[in-house]
Amino acid sequence: MRKFPGFWNKNNEGPPDLDEVFKDLNQKLNRLFGGKGGSGAPRGTSPAPQPLPVAPILGIVALIWLGSGFYIVDQGSRGVVLRFGQHVETTMPGPRWHLPFPIESIENVNLEQVRTIEMGYRSFEGETARSKELRESLMLTDDENIIDLQVAVQYNLKSVEDYQFSNRSTEESVRGVAETAIREIVGKSKMDFVLYEGRDDVAARAKKLMQDMLDRYKSGINVVNVTMQNAQPPEQVQAAFDDAVKAKQDLERQKNEGQAYANDVIPKARGTASRLTEEAAGYKLRVENEAKGNADRFEQVLTQYNKAPEVTRQRLYLDAQEHVLSNTSKVLVDQKGSNSLLYLPLDKLMTISGAPGNAATAPAATTEKPAQEPQADSSTLDRSRDAMRTRDREYR
Amino acid sequence: MKNIGSLLIGVFVLLVIITSSAYTVDQREYALVFRLGEIVSVKRDPGLYFKMPMVENIRYYDKRILTLNWEEPDRFITSEKKNVLVDSFVKWRIIDPSKYYVSVRGDEVQAERRLSQMVNDGLRAEFGKRTIHDVVSGERSEIMEILRQRADKESRQMGIQILDVRLRRVDLPKEVSESVYQRMEAERKSVANELRSQGAAAAEKIRADADRQREVIIAEAYRDAQKVKGEGDAKASEVYAQAFGKNPEFYAFYRSQEAYKNSFKSKSDVMVIDQSSDFFKYMRSSGKK
Repeated sequence: MRKFPGFWNKNNEGPPDLDEVFKDLNQKLNRLFGGKGGSGAPRGTSPAPQPLPVAPILGIVALIWLGSGFYIVDQGSRGVVLRFGQHVETTMPGPRWHLPFPIESIENVNLEQVRTIEMGYRSFEGETARSKELRESLMLTDDENIIDLQVAVQYNLKSVEDYQFSNRSTEESVRGVAETAIREIVGKSKMDFVLYEGRDDVAARAKKLMQDMLDRYKSGINVVNVTMQNAQPPEQVQAAFDDAVKAKQDLERQKNEGQAYANDVIPKARGTASRLTEEAAGYKLRVENEAKGNADRFEQVLTQYNKAPEVTRQRLYLDAQEHVLSNTSKVLVDQKGSNSLLYLPLDKLMTISGAPGNAATAPAATTEKPAQEPQADSSTLDRSRDAMRTRDREYR
Repeated sequence: MKNIGSLLIGVFVLLVIITSSAYTVDQREYALVFRLGEIVSVKRDPGLYFKMPMVENIRYYDKRILTLNWEEPDRFITSEKKNVLVDSFVKWRIIDPSKYYVSVRGDEVQAERRLSQMVNDGLRAEFGKRTIHDVVSGERSEIMEILRQRADKESRQMGIQILDVRLRRVDLPKEVSESVYQRMEAERKSVANELRSQGAAAAEKIRADADRQREVIIAEAYRDAQKVKGEGDAKASEVYAQAFGKNPEFYAFYRSQEAYKNSFKSKSDVMVIDQSSDFFKYMRSSGKK
């Protein structure tokens, strides 16, 4: 309740009028009391100064008294007017007047302000830190586990009258109601539900239960919001819970690693497979074409051979013998000589001429299997001749 | 002067009479009117009332809903002989001020003591019949309702209505909490282990499957490749047979010459040759017959 401070100043703007009022009042009072007292004659004739103060004083007192009835209701608040203790009116924001004390009294109630109750923790004005209230925050769940919950409850008033008249210490009972409601809901829920998927659900159910209880007590309170600030396992078991969460991550990680392996191996296998397929196709074409080529070549030679068989045959024989002998180490032996006495250090011959030969065949051995095949099948003379030449060069 | 004096005295006397006889009853209160110790009336409605000064006196009682809180949670034993700490509150209201005055001398502290005894008794009885689980979750609302009805029935004699009995906290004592924590920890450990081995199993499965797929893919490709190669070989054989079939004898000769060339082409091939070889025919003689 606030008095209206500017009242006297504002209404004193017309002092002459007020004076007249006082005079008028004065005279009336004089007449009244004069008649009662029975000695009116001397008073009427002589303008004695004594009666003058009585009326103004009474008037001023009356005005002060009336002025004390002014009050201001703040925005968002309501003024509850009680006449002799009985509620007669609830006034809206703005300057108001009521019958002054002791007839009426005013109680100013903040209706719209959202108030907060913190459960399980206390935060401090202007600080981000909060202190834990373990006694409040630790609660039992349905599966007999203990969890650590921090909840904030926001509420405002929906009925000023109920709020003012129905409950003693309403604020305190909101706290009690909030605590029982949340504990009841948590007590009926499984721990994992409260901690993980069901947080919003728990808050919503707690809000409803709170509102039901508060309505039953006619508290005039409207629960705006129940928010789960923090839902955790208790500190003692936090490490184990974190580890379980980590294990879940590990599970995913291991799966991903497996998948990574698969993603590495399978495409590679596909690559190998297509290599095999392509190579086979290449081999097929090569073999076929080689066959055609070789056959063609033979047929050409055959045609000529048919024309002059003896000569061609002789030439081919000598060509081949020449080629062979020119490329090999030779030991000519006369069969008629003492054959049994002949000693040939074959192993030495092999080692002398073998070393470069091995070196020359080495590249052919290291090339891959398909590459080897033409060599094994080397009826392609050009190619073998080329090989001869390079080897010859190496020996020199 | 005299007039004013008598006026003031008159006003003063009037005020004294009014203040000593008028009284107000607030919206939130009952008023009991005692005349020389005897209750003569109960004022339930708010407003301005008058009484006989000196003879009558007034006592006020709260009409609002009051809360009975326990300072400390109490220990109760459940049916499985376990201790639980219970904190509760009771919402109550005076509905019959004269009964209330008679039974507890109108003393709130005394009333609360009686109420708390009643509720405690009820709690003990109800908890003794139930397990912790029932108390915490299953039958919580039922217990509260039973307690409310019981307490309400008894408290009516005191002019008190019980609106609600609420279990605020049902907690385990510290020693029991510790073992709960240990159990929770063990549970989480087993969960963690299970998850990890599940992960290992899943990874192994994926790997094995990948290996299998690799084998299958390569084997299938090999099969197809061999088939294609075979086709090539077959075709080649056909071509060769066709060509060489035209003169097998010459083919043998021709092919032999090729084979000689290809077989002996390295210096490491040592040939021990007899002079009588056909090749040296002209080496031995001029060949002139």
